[in-house]
Amino acid sequence: MYEHVEDRAALYALGALADDERAAIDAHLRDCSACTEAVGAAEDDVALIVSSEPQRLAPPALDARIGRLLQPRSLETMRRSRRPAWPSATAIAAALLLGLLPSAYFWSENRMLHGAMLAQSNAIGRLASAPHRTAHFRLAKSSPPAEVMYALDGSWYVVVVRDASKSFSVAWMHDGVQTMLGETVPNGGVAMLYLPKSHRMDRLALMDGDRVVAEATLSWQSTVPNRRSARSG
Amino acid sequence: MPAAEGDEALAAAFAEHEGWAFGEAYRRYAALLYSAAYNVLRNADDAQDCIADAVARLWRSRGAYSASRGNLRSFLVVCVRNEAISRRRSQARTIRLEERLAAMPVEHEQLPVSDPIERDRVRSALLALPREQRTALELAYYEGKTHSEIAAELQEPLGTIKSRIKHGLRKLGSALESTAGIERDRS
Repeated sequence: MYEHVEDRAALYALGALADDERAAIDAHLRDCSACTEAVGAAEDDVALIVSSEPQRLAPPALDARIGRLLQPRSLETMRRSRRPAWPSATAIAAALLLGLLPSAYFWSENRMLHGAMLAQSNAIGRLASAPHRTAHFRLAKSSPPAEVMYALDGSWYVVVVRDASKSFSVAWMHDGVQTMLGETVPNGGVAMLYLPKSHRMDRLALMDGDRVVAEATLSWQSTVPNRRSARSG
Repeated sequence: MPAAEGDEALAAAFAEHEGWAFGEAYRRYAALLYSAAYNVLRNADDAQDCIADAVARLWRSRGAYSASRGNLRSFLVVCVRNEAISRRRSQARTIRLEERLAAMPVEHEQLPVSDPIERDRVRSALLALPREQRTALELAYYEGKTHSEIAAELQEPLGTIKSRIKHGLRKLGSALESTAGIERDRS
């Protein structure tokens, strides 16, 4: 077993170790909960600094890439690459394909449903327990009804698109720039995007591909929110 | 830092290596992870490759994250940032080896303006550190140097540098926590 991490927890979290030293600590952390806690604390410190730096939104292309990476087929490929060669690979692969297709489909659906449910449960929890405002998206002819509910301090947002069977992108419109925030997740005829940590945004756009289909203007005036929207927790 | 609703459930599922948790963790922290990579690499393509590699690496290594590690967000930020630093070092080595080739062009893409309050918080917290700790920390964090390189550059023993970085980071973290009015969640 590698020696305890001790003073190197901060070095690890800061990236100030050589690759081989870091790999040795990674191996050690799998068996040592005390060192794992020490590294976790140092990671919190580094994350605080990182959070204070200029922030950029991840490009949609990266979102799609990570999505593909986490597909069951990609996972299966990765696992296969670590296994020894399989005899009669073609015949067995064909049989496996036929057998695994339904499982992969349901696995994928289940994964998406879990993600959507978690996001929705968080969003619903926010809406039920915290004062918030509602702004409706000003609709183009072909766009579905949509609204954004948001915390009075701008710390979270929930975008809801009704009668939606597909995803829409949500963008923050500011200073002549569109900053992509994420995509709504369709589930049961309603597509939702929950943004748990954010700051005040004045104008949001709903986008179908590159096309803006609706815009919402958010108010930050310090008036008492309407009774329907404001509920004390 | 305070755990948002669902963070603990997500962390538990991530520790269990559940597929949906990886997707949800990426979605939830995408901007922070991308920013962590971009701020080290200063190149959008490299930052995307870096995150994809970091996620793939985590997928392949079951058990990399456990509940005792604490905050999943912090863990992912450090994973991505360490991957980015490794790439930057590798790029630097390539440049050194290819002396006859022109150095990579510096990208002049304008960074979005960060919150000036945030910038001031970090600057103030750094300036409050003893000079020796601040210098070691800046060389590690902003210049991506290893502790060996820092020791050589400052002509100090390795143990001294380790100690300065350790104490400097802890003070900086505490200062940022207190000015942000948040409490560490190490449960």
